[in-house]
Amino acid sequence: MVAPRKQPPLLDLVDELLAEQGRLQTPVVAASRAYDQSRNEHAKSKIFPQLIPLTAPGPGEQYAFEVDLDSCTGCKSCVVACHSLNGLDEAEAWRDVGLVVGGSRAAPYQQTITSACHHCADPACLNGCPVLAYEKDPLTGIVRHLDDQCIGCQYCILKCPYDVPKYNERLGIVRKCDLCHQRLGAGEAPACVQACPTHAIKIIKVGIHLGRADTTRFLPAAPDPGYTQPTTHYLTQRSTPGDVQPADAHVLRPQPPHGPLVALLVLMPMAVGCGVVELVLTRPSPSLGVAGWLAGAAGLALATLHLGKPLRAWRVFLGLRKSWFSREAVVFGAWFPLASAHVAASLGWLPLGGPLPVVLTVAPAAVGVLGLFCSVMIYVDTRRAFWRFDNTAPRFFGSAVILGLAGALISPGAPRYLGFLLIVATVMKLTFEARALAPLPGKIADSHSTAVQTARLLTGPLRKVNTVRRVAALLGGILLPLGFALGAAPMAAAIPALILCLGGELAERTLFFRAVDAPKMPGQTDPGPGGAP
Amino acid sequence: MSTLDDLLLVRSGPMTSELVQHPGDFGLGKLPVRLSPAGTVKSVCGYCSTGCSLEVHLNASGEAINLTPDPHYPVNLGMACPKGWEALTPLAAPDRATTPLLRDESGELRPVDWTRAMTAFTEKLQDLQARHGPAAVAVLSTGQIVTEEMALLGALTKFGMGIVDLDSNTRQCMATAHVAYKQSYGFDAPPFTYADFEESDVLVFVGANPCIAHPIMWQRVMRNRRSPAIIVVDPRRTETAMAATLHLPAYPKSDQTLFYGLAREIIQRGATAPAFIAEHTEGFAGFAKFVEAFTPARVLAETGLSATDYQRTIELITRPGARVSYWWTMGVNQSHQATRTAQALINLSLMAGQIGRPGTGANSITGQCNAMGSRLFGNASSLVGGFDFAREEHRRHVAAILEIDPALIPAQPSRAYDRILDAVEAGEIRALWIIATNTAHSWINSGKFARLRDKLDFLIVQDMYTTTETALQADLVLPAAGWGEKEGTFINSERRLGYVRKVARAPGQALSDFAIFKLVAEAWGCGPLFTRWSSPAATLQILKALSRDQPCDFTGIRDYAHIAAAGGIQWPFPETQLPVPADHERRLFADGKFFTAGGRATFLFAEPLPLPEPTDAAYPFLLNTGRGSSAQWHTGSRTDKSAVLRKLAPTSVWIELHPVDAAKLKLLTGHPVTVRSRRGTTTALAVVTSIVQPGQVFMPMHFPGVNVLTFPAYDPHSRQPAYKACAVALSPLPPAP
Repeated sequence: MVAPRKQPPLLDLVDELLAEQGRLQTPVVAASRAYDQSRNEHAKSKIFPQLIPLTAPGPGEQYAFEVDLDSCTGCKSCVVACHSLNGLDEAEAWRDVGLVVGGSRAAPYQQTITSACHHCADPACLNGCPVLAYEKDPLTGIVRHLDDQCIGCQYCILKCPYDVPKYNERLGIVRKCDLCHQRLGAGEAPACVQACPTHAIKIIKVGIHLGRADTTRFLPAAPDPGYTQPTTHYLTQRSTPGDVQPADAHVLRPQPPHGPLVALLVLMPMAVGCGVVELVLTRPSPSLGVAGWLAGAAGLALATLHLGKPLRAWRVFLGLRKSWFSREAVVFGAWFPLASAHVAASLGWLPLGGPLPVVLTVAPAAVGVLGLFCSVMIYVDTRRAFWRFDNTAPRFFGSAVILGLAGALISPGAPRYLGFLLIVATVMKLTFEARALAPLPGKIADSHSTAVQTARLLTGPLRKVNTVRRVAALLGGILLPLGFALGAAPMAAAIPALILCLGGELAERTLFFRAVDAPKMPGQTDPGPGGAP
Repeated sequence: MSTLDDLLLVRSGPMTSELVQHPGDFGLGKLPVRLSPAGTVKSVCGYCSTGCSLEVHLNASGEAINLTPDPHYPVNLGMACPKGWEALTPLAAPDRATTPLLRDESGELRPVDWTRAMTAFTEKLQDLQARHGPAAVAVLSTGQIVTEEMALLGALTKFGMGIVDLDSNTRQCMATAHVAYKQSYGFDAPPFTYADFEESDVLVFVGANPCIAHPIMWQRVMRNRRSPAIIVVDPRRTETAMAATLHLPAYPKSDQTLFYGLAREIIQRGATAPAFIAEHTEGFAGFAKFVEAFTPARVLAETGLSATDYQRTIELITRPGARVSYWWTMGVNQSHQATRTAQALINLSLMAGQIGRPGTGANSITGQCNAMGSRLFGNASSLVGGFDFAREEHRRHVAAILEIDPALIPAQPSRAYDRILDAVEAGEIRALWIIATNTAHSWINSGKFARLRDKLDFLIVQDMYTTTETALQADLVLPAAGWGEKEGTFINSERRLGYVRKVARAPGQALSDFAIFKLVAEAWGCGPLFTRWSSPAATLQILKALSRDQPCDFTGIRDYAHIAAAGGIQWPFPETQLPVPADHERRLFADGKFFTAGGRATFLFAEPLPLPEPTDAAYPFLLNTGRGSSAQWHTGSRTDKSAVLRKLAPTSVWIELHPVDAAKLKLLTGHPVTVRSRRGTTTALAVVTSIVQPGQVFMPMHFPGVNVLTFPAYDPHSRQPAYKACAVALSPLPPAP
């Protein structure tokens, strides 16, 4: 064996090799540029004339995606091409590929589904946006998002039944598919269309009549197109079995908790509740008004933490015509000075005479109730089953009653019968909430209806929060008030009762957000991250 | 008014401009301004053997910033799969190996410089060789590095370091195709070109799911304008089976029986090609007699297929004038009787004369990007260049080309991967050098490798990442540059040499595998043997000389620039007989001349064998393994580094089982299950789906728990492990809270 080369020459070689490793074989950029520009006619290759319309949409028409399901085999190139060609952030993509499954033992069925924004004829995102950050292009029908207008409230995410808008943490705003309008404008095909190896995605023109699209070619296993009038056409020559369902139908997806919204939607009801109870009580103490004001002020302040771009939020009134979010913001915005004036007056800081003190008592309560109604409608307007009016209003107003009563209990000289009222309110609300568990079948849950999914979430991944909610209500809304009402507990027991009631309502509002079954397009078979039942 | 409008409705600004696109230069179409390239270069993708060309976008410093598929390459025609689109992302992963790491006395892997690493490397290995003989050191290599590197590694280890055993992970993917072709055609020569996907009337896919495993090949199938019949033989109703005209869900490993049955029916119907058989093949009479026993009754009983589907298959493949092509991949290659199964397909094409013409052939779809480079130039089972170690004239010939002493060339081929590990177990092999593969995760019955670690005095792992299951166990980690950080050639499924370019800088002290091998040669003391191997480009010239007059002759290739300009070049490409330059798609055997001594293809066959580990009462389910999604590659050391690819695949290991079985076990999708085999236990989440058949389960190979279960059976000819059939038992775990 030859003796190994000694250190210095080996070191030289290491340096030589490392230097060589650092030399790219691409300092030929200039040459490459000249070469490539000489054949720039092949920009044509991005056009795919058979895959995009030759002319712009006419009156009563708009652009739409057409997906040939028989050609889509799940390679998912469209997703990554969208990510790469649009320069999106690391894990960001505006298109997704899911799966629907079904069929029999003899003829099992699966079909991959590619989907992006459906550029709906009646876009829920647009209708809900409080700052008009969505526009439907009058010529092309493309639903575009104005990134510098967006305040990051994410209401569009709740509104869209197809889970299209995506929140970007880095920017604090939402972004979404714009149908590559810049490419289409230059006669190029969108990124996903360019990238599909089997040409399964096309851009077509579809007719729109009085804000309604032809949804007969929408995907059967997707959420009901009646709500937003999605324009995407899904085509297939194959027969589809009747039992087809999304491959991820079983997946439990606890939704984001939205802490600041939870705080707002517990503290504002408390403020409104305190205001109303103050109206009803014969000899209210100013402390009740102060407690309500503090709760409301804290709720409104915390709510701004929900926004990705709070400094842009002053435009929130722009959406008043359609958006319950705008309405809530404006009404609560009016409540705050009224409630402040009322508290100042009740503390004797404002020299007021005549009917004004009465007006200042009634007005914040009335405006608060109206604001709370707007809060309810924000969620009702998403058309999510768990957030229906008859399930949302009792919760929000129930919180107002419970926290109003619990707030009143801590006022000096609060009548003891309030304890009984609080017990009644708590029992009623707990009973009402228990309805959500009713759909849970006794044995193996095979149905994945939205009500069943919510019940499975409440008894599965969210079980601990649900337990906290009940224990807090039991102690703070039933046992302590009972002691208070019977005179067995000292007046000071009202403070832990209020804290427990607040805690219980916060837990319940967390469940309200987390246990909703959010509609979406079919996803992939992923048994994992959503959590098992 | 307009100012008020502007104040109220902000249509432009920093966030809007992030997405504003610049009119495309270089024919790329519109791109975000931030990613506007200053130039582009083309490079062939480093994942699978499809061999797509990617147009890499460069900034003004010549560094890669983005890529798009190359619209002018005959392979991919402007398309790529998700892994190709994301090919640059894994280069920037935080767990890249940036410096050599050496395990110190306390057992910790600590950074050292290259000279210290090389000293440890040579001292340790030379000491072991001195004490236990040269064969005490063995090498496990890869199908993922460029041909020039494979050849240098093979020459360095066998001619310079006295190493006897060098095998690679191509044993896990292509060994069967290699042996099957070599035995039947006389050379490892996949006969097809991708145009055959478009030219065929009947495409039979066996144990292949190109829709997600080779999406760009499926693109070519979808471009077929002949209204082809597509038959898919696969126990699962895969994406490809869904897209097929006819799905044959034959019982696992019964496919060989099925093909012998089809051969019998072709004979019965008089659909053979007697003239072709007589002039270009041998052994047909014996084969014809052998398949008589494969009556329809037997075939239907053993495969579980319906008589209707069987009849329809026979009608389709015997339709007069139809061009029939057979395409196989891992479902065939990874079997206990893989070589004979592959040859059963080769026989079907030979007996009907379905070869050498457009749209025909028995065609192996390769796995890794450079499996063929490894097969021809890896210097493992064949002597570098497709020669035979055992033949003295071959050793002399190769020695003359390499200008080395013929005595340096061993007279026997390497032992196969499984035998190398057996030799570790027996204490014969004391050190392993593992390059660009993840043995601890991917080798069959992985519990065995875990137990062997203690038997090894020294384990060297050369990889891009410090975090692979294998690198974590190493005594010495050598940091390697990855695809895109070095140059060379890959040879794809259709024998096309493609050029791979250096478009990014390797992190820290990482070096190309080529440079590491050069460094090892110097440190070892055999550097002078490889003076001519001064660079990958110089090595290509050596490889050309080795290929001369071989079936794979590519002496007509001038250099890398020639390959790049030609859009890849298929072998054969001899300088004596250059094909028409525009001829981008060439197939073999148009003249019916094979590479055997007599120029005839051989019919090879054997009685089908029972499953090595059939199911029984204790282990009632048959476990199949395979690719999970188009966004995942092998053990995930690269694809897991891309956030967008991770979104496209389930994040936890799953097991597919049929609703009938799920009901018996009271399992729902998402429920955790313990999966046990006689070799190990793992847990997975259930996915209840009728795409698998009752009694069969499927797990994706990308998760480390899966090969804990697999049964170590090997094809006797190719020594390829049979990953796709072992017996397991399932027991539901209590659902997670």
